[in-house]
Amino acid sequence: MTALISVRDLTVSYPDHGARRLFGPVPRKTILHGVTLELPKGRITGIVGESGSGKSTLGRALVRLVRPDAGQIIWAGGDRPVDLAPLDEAQLKPLRQDLQMIFQDPMSSLNPRQKIWQLIAWPLRRYGLDASRAAACAALERVHLGAAFADRFAHQLSGGQRQRVGIARAIALNPQFILADEIVSGLDVSSQATVLTLLQDLARDMNLTVAFISHDLSVIRHLCDDLIVLNHGRIVESGPVAQIFDAPSAAETRKLIAAVPLPKPDAEWLT
Amino acid sequence: MSAPVLEISNLSVRLPNDLKVLNTVDLRVEPGEVRALVGESGAGKSMLGKAVLGILPAGLRQTGRITVLGQALDQLPASVRRREVARHVSLIPQDPLTALNPVRPIAAQMTDAMVRIHGWPRRKALARAADLLEQVHIRDVARVLKSYPHELSGGMRQRVLIAAAFATEPKLIVADEPTTALDATVQREILRIIRGLQQETGTTVLFVTHDMGVVAQISQRVTVLFGGRVVEHIDTEALFAGAGQGHAYSRALIRATPDWTRSDAPFAPVPPEVIADLMQEQTR
Repeated sequence: MTALISVRDLTVSYPDHGARRLFGPVPRKTILHGVTLELPKGRITGIVGESGSGKSTLGRALVRLVRPDAGQIIWAGGDRPVDLAPLDEAQLKPLRQDLQMIFQDPMSSLNPRQKIWQLIAWPLRRYGLDASRAAACAALERVHLGAAFADRFAHQLSGGQRQRVGIARAIALNPQFILADEIVSGLDVSSQATVLTLLQDLARDMNLTVAFISHDLSVIRHLCDDLIVLNHGRIVESGPVAQIFDAPSAAETRKLIAAVPLPKPDAEWLT
Repeated sequence: MSAPVLEISNLSVRLPNDLKVLNTVDLRVEPGEVRALVGESGAGKSMLGKAVLGILPAGLRQTGRITVLGQALDQLPASVRRREVARHVSLIPQDPLTALNPVRPIAAQMTDAMVRIHGWPRRKALARAADLLEQVHIRDVARVLKSYPHELSGGMRQRVLIAAAFATEPKLIVADEPTTALDATVQREILRIIRGLQQETGTTVLFVTHDMGVVAQISQRVTVLFGGRVVEHIDTEALFAGAGQGHAYSRALIRATPDWTRSDAPFAPVPPEVIADLMQEQTR
């Protein structure tokens, strides 16, 4: 299996304003401590961990929303491998079309006064692609929303529909990689199932490589091929999903699995 | 059978534009029962909890009857009603940060209600607060009592609120999605604490949630809501037994919840025909 993205010894830190002194530089807090992993081409890799484990920071580093302190992020989606870690924004720009992302509430960062088709067309125009209404509607069709939604506004959509617009916006660019960060956390179980089925189908049809960040292991089990478990900024376990669920080796993994309620009443679970 | 702790009959709540967020709801909860109120967003489950507590948002109109311990709340003057609700009903809120006063220490916030409702001396209230904090597995009780909300983690704040909810010895507790804002690994511990205190005190709990897994583990009976109406009241065991019991919609909600114990279950949204049937059934 070839890796689309190979991460080696990735270290990321943020300024820690809470620990700031009156004089001197702002101290930094290390979030990821030398993480090494591979995201195999055409597979969905789940990234789990408790809050504060560094899973969102890892996701943001993969699409270079944050600049790592050290380590490499080797991108194998072009003619020859490129290390994304040291690139500046100008150097990243031609690669951005291939590195798309979807967040928990895609609409919170979007212009509420733009119509749905305009929201989808905006990034198309930015990358010099066909940004017509028809192109936007084609993307909407692919997420089963249809042209009827083109002239609506974000606030007129349900949570599940908004998330499908978020997916449409990402796939319209025909990317190789999608980062999905807690994209179903705010949704009802039924719309969650709709969005995940859609993501699964699109990933297969477009041969997408997906990093799927979630705190919900029951979702991970049915969506992902591989799994990475983070704890305090370090990988404590990784491998195929089925294998990890059958025999979790790290204590942190067992703790995360044990936290998911059993699907049927069980007198032991709360004792 | 003993008198119900909570009895709701023909309850409707209307928005200013006359849209009904709750529609002719009947509900009867027996003493010592943990009743789950489950539904998708917009089903009215939180609204029902708010109606019981008498804290509906301004502008909403309520009709029908809510009876707590045999007392019809809607028949009482507002001031008496507030006092009666405060004495008998507590809330465990969803967001543990906004529910606490940021400028008062935990000790003061926990004891205020006990002093006001039961007229206990401050010292007795403080001792009870400390005792309850131990029961919700807080190790450093003295420090937590002196702390301000921002000094505690989300899980700690939720424990404080659970202790505070039980502190006034209520007969009924409304738990409004108490674990939604918390980390997944904290959820089980919080549910254990609520269940433990509930069993020890025999308090009746109305547990609002959208998570069928949580329903399965914490409740004895379930009330399923859709579009502001009751779909059904059913025993939790029966609903999850998989023997065709329960409404088609409730069973679809269970199927839509991913089952992490199996590797072969695809994602299953609630089928549109189930929704269509349900809506037709409701308008009859």
